[in-house]
Amino acid sequence: MTLPFADTNFAEATWILVVKSIVIFAVIFAIVPVLTVVERKVLGRFQARYGPNRVGPYGLMQPLADAVKLVTKEHYRPRNAIPILWPIAPALVVFTGVATLAILPFGDVKDGVGFYGIDVPIGILYFFAFGSIAFYGLLLGGWASGSKYSFLGAMRAAAQLISYEISMGLALLGAIMMAGSLSLVSIVEAQHQVWYILPQFVGFLIFMVAGFAETNRAPFDLPEADAELVAGYGTEYGGMRYGSYAMAEYIEMFVISGVAVTFFLGGWHGPGPGWLDPIWVIVKIFAFLFLFMWIRATLPRVRYDQLMSLGWKVLLPLATLNVLVTAVLVTVT
Amino acid sequence: MVQVAFFVGAIGATGGALAVIALRNPFYSVLALVVHLVSLAGLFLLLYAQFVAAAQVVVYAGAVMVLYVFVAAYVGAVEEPIWEPIPGQRFLAPLLAVALLVELTIAILGTGLTALDSEGPTVHAGFGTPAEIGNLLLERFLVVFEAASMLLLIAAVGAVVLAGRRTTPPTSSASRPGSAGSGSEVAAGPHAPTATSSLAPADPPSAAEQGG
Repeated sequence: MTLPFADTNFAEATWILVVKSIVIFAVIFAIVPVLTVVERKVLGRFQARYGPNRVGPYGLMQPLADAVKLVTKEHYRPRNAIPILWPIAPALVVFTGVATLAILPFGDVKDGVGFYGIDVPIGILYFFAFGSIAFYGLLLGGWASGSKYSFLGAMRAAAQLISYEISMGLALLGAIMMAGSLSLVSIVEAQHQVWYILPQFVGFLIFMVAGFAETNRAPFDLPEADAELVAGYGTEYGGMRYGSYAMAEYIEMFVISGVAVTFFLGGWHGPGPGWLDPIWVIVKIFAFLFLFMWIRATLPRVRYDQLMSLGWKVLLPLATLNVLVTAVLVTVT
Repeated sequence: MVQVAFFVGAIGATGGALAVIALRNPFYSVLALVVHLVSLAGLFLLLYAQFVAAAQVVVYAGAVMVLYVFVAAYVGAVEEPIWEPIPGQRFLAPLLAVALLVELTIAILGTGLTALDSEGPTVHAGFGTPAEIGNLLLERFLVVFEAASMLLLIAAVGAVVLAGRRTTPPTSSASRPGSAGSGSEVAAGPHAPTATSSLAPADPPSAAEQGG
């Protein structure tokens, strides 16, 4: 039986799809808590301190303690908050983050099973479509909280996301033109000779800068700039609702790293036998995640006007130029 | 499965559209419009139009609605005017609505219902993919496509020109009461660029994404 919806590049039985979704979901939800403790450890080392080391060996059980604390907290709702929209917002962010994971390829088709959630012909547009829905999670959260800080944070997030989404799309367009396909699986297959980080180095840099802005990570964490806005759109949230926002941020980091690996670092390509493919993808993704933490520990937050002028006056023209040059080169060769 | 998906999408689309006009708070109306657009994208997906569905979400639910949300959130609930902006609007509007209803009914009864009992058109493999739509746009509909992109370019340039012209009055009006000296101009100086730079992203994304 095939899916009733628009067709995919590689159709599989429904039960395989269900199993795959559960596996991806389980793996990511195991990785996210690990990421939180890794980030705190890494930040600690950067700042010449230990980081969490009380719960379990080397502090590795810290995320478990955090999760228990967040889940058992009281569900407090501020009086100004709007009843239905306010709790929906964090769920929306997590939903879109998890949905985007479906298109990350961890390997090609082996024994009739594709090592990815789904290979849609619209490929990366799927990622952008869910990205633009994720924006409503931030905006609703900020607006429905009924607080000034939340609202300002949400507005900053909105402006930031739409400013950097275009540069991000254009940065990927170079790699898409070189591969001649939007499908992430085909793009990885097209990189079996040379990874696109070499011919598309400008595109890679633009994508990473825009990716940092899209995930609201330092140095672009203006929507939740704690020195000025308390915690931005998440100010009024507590317990697991706040935890959902934090979790969504880590999932988005994972997705952005995964897209960067797919488009520029050759996806599952690497030395060794075929069964190592998913491991290679995970290793490369973790390298990017370390980069995220490294930059957070190193760079100070940019100013808001710097953020906007960087996005519109530097990244956008540069990305457009990159697309033009790539288009000419692809046509000539 | 298809039927369930269709009815979920259809109820979402109709309910969203009704809510847009029924809700009083403009912010809720905008959110209802987002629900409508996303449901519509689901219906497109059922029709094997994947690219249109993705473009619908990215461009309309993403870029265009963000501007609406900005306006609705910043301006807030606007007082409805008690007078009629267009004279005779109260009588003209239902008349036009009925005319539109008649027109649509004729169109639907005339064409759409003939396909009700059939299986619908057969869809070949690769229908609705970005590649196919790209071929259509750049070969069969090239002139229309270029005309539309020129229109959007003109709109974008016009928006930039209009926005550039509007930045001069605030600085001059801000410096006018400040007859005390340069102190107020210094105060107005850093404020003006941030105001324009925070408003600037509002215009280009929709034009740029639609054009591209």
